[in-house]
Amino acid sequence: MNGGFGPYKVIELPGGIVISQTVTVTWLIMLLLTVFAYFASKKFNKVPDKFQNVVEILVESIYGLTKQTMGEDKINFAPYMGTLLLFIGVANVSGLFGLRPPTADVNTTLGLSIMTFFMVHYNSIKSNGIKNYMKGYLEPMPFLLPLNIIGELANPISLAFRLFGNIVGGLIIMVLLYGALGSISTSLGIGIPILQAGIPAVLHIYFDLFAGLLQSFIFTMLTMVFISMAMD
Amino acid sequence: MEGIKLGLVELNWSFFFQIANTIILFLILKKLLFKPVSEFMEKRRAEIEGSIKEAEMKNVEAEKYKSEYIAKIEASEEEGRQIIRDAAKRAEVRASEIIKAAEKEAIEIKQRADLDIQREKEKAINLLKDDIASIAMLVASKVVEEDLNPQRHNTLVRKFIDEVGETRWQS
Repeated sequence: MNGGFGPYKVIELPGGIVISQTVTVTWLIMLLLTVFAYFASKKFNKVPDKFQNVVEILVESIYGLTKQTMGEDKINFAPYMGTLLLFIGVANVSGLFGLRPPTADVNTTLGLSIMTFFMVHYNSIKSNGIKNYMKGYLEPMPFLLPLNIIGELANPISLAFRLFGNIVGGLIIMVLLYGALGSISTSLGIGIPILQAGIPAVLHIYFDLFAGLLQSFIFTMLTMVFISMAMD
Repeated sequence: MEGIKLGLVELNWSFFFQIANTIILFLILKKLLFKPVSEFMEKRRAEIEGSIKEAEMKNVEAEKYKSEYIAKIEASEEEGRQIIRDAAKRAEVRASEIIKAAEKEAIEIKQRADLDIQREKEKAINLLKDDIASIAMLVASKVVEEDLNPQRHNTLVRKFIDEVGETRWQS
């Protein structure tokens, strides 16, 4: 460990473009999801088998969640929300497989929240018209304009750092725990860090599975709520 | 993977990479997963809905036909009963007509027979009266010889016989 908890630099392309561990793990996740999607929709029968059932439940619940949260008229957002949910979910859980979660990088979470930010404002202008959109900043009173602007800008930042903080917090705790368990093992005179087996599993379940899936759900839900609120 | 670590909270090129990655992943998943699966499920839903609706429609139609047929059967049963009733009534009327006619005829026949009998009786009585009158005349003329005027005495005798015979020949 050469200090810090940041992602490794994998390769530096000419022109100073750095490709970090975050990006390579993301590529892996993309590959995984693409393969899953390919096989999920490859052979679809009228009478579904087990795998098809799982895929149908997944897609249906994403559509149902979108419909429930955003309304019937905004069902077209479902694929994007599904992508967010699947990507953030798999990314958060990837810590279980010894990968560094891409969501433990502020670049990923800020990238996602900036996309949400742009979608919110684009759709707000599109459905309310530029005039009403501008007027929205003067409500309920015109002198609240700076507060409204700060509020709007705070949304993507809070969204990004909520996810980032949760995941990176878990990551740091896990790294520290592994380190601590390793050094306890050595100080007990055991060559192999035997305490590292088993004890971290409980925390893995909490930080990677529970908090990870919960945070992916929260991020997706908030994105849906922001967009539908901006459109109504 | 030992190497240079980047800062924990540091904005760098990854930001743009991750946005691009997310958009690419979105397009892939939309094309490969969400669109086909949701379209498929929507199609299947519509199909099932269609067949359920069709079945319901057929049920309604069958119900309609059933009640129609039941009504028809009931109507024809009623008609049959009506026909039988009519026939029975007609037969009854006809029977009573026949009986009445027969009774009337019988009465007529009896009346005619009575009349005939009466006539015959009268004829016989008259014949007998004539016979007795002539016999009496004959006997009387024999007794009184030529003294009697047959024309006068005939009526006299006849009158007598009539008076006597009225009680004697009545029965």
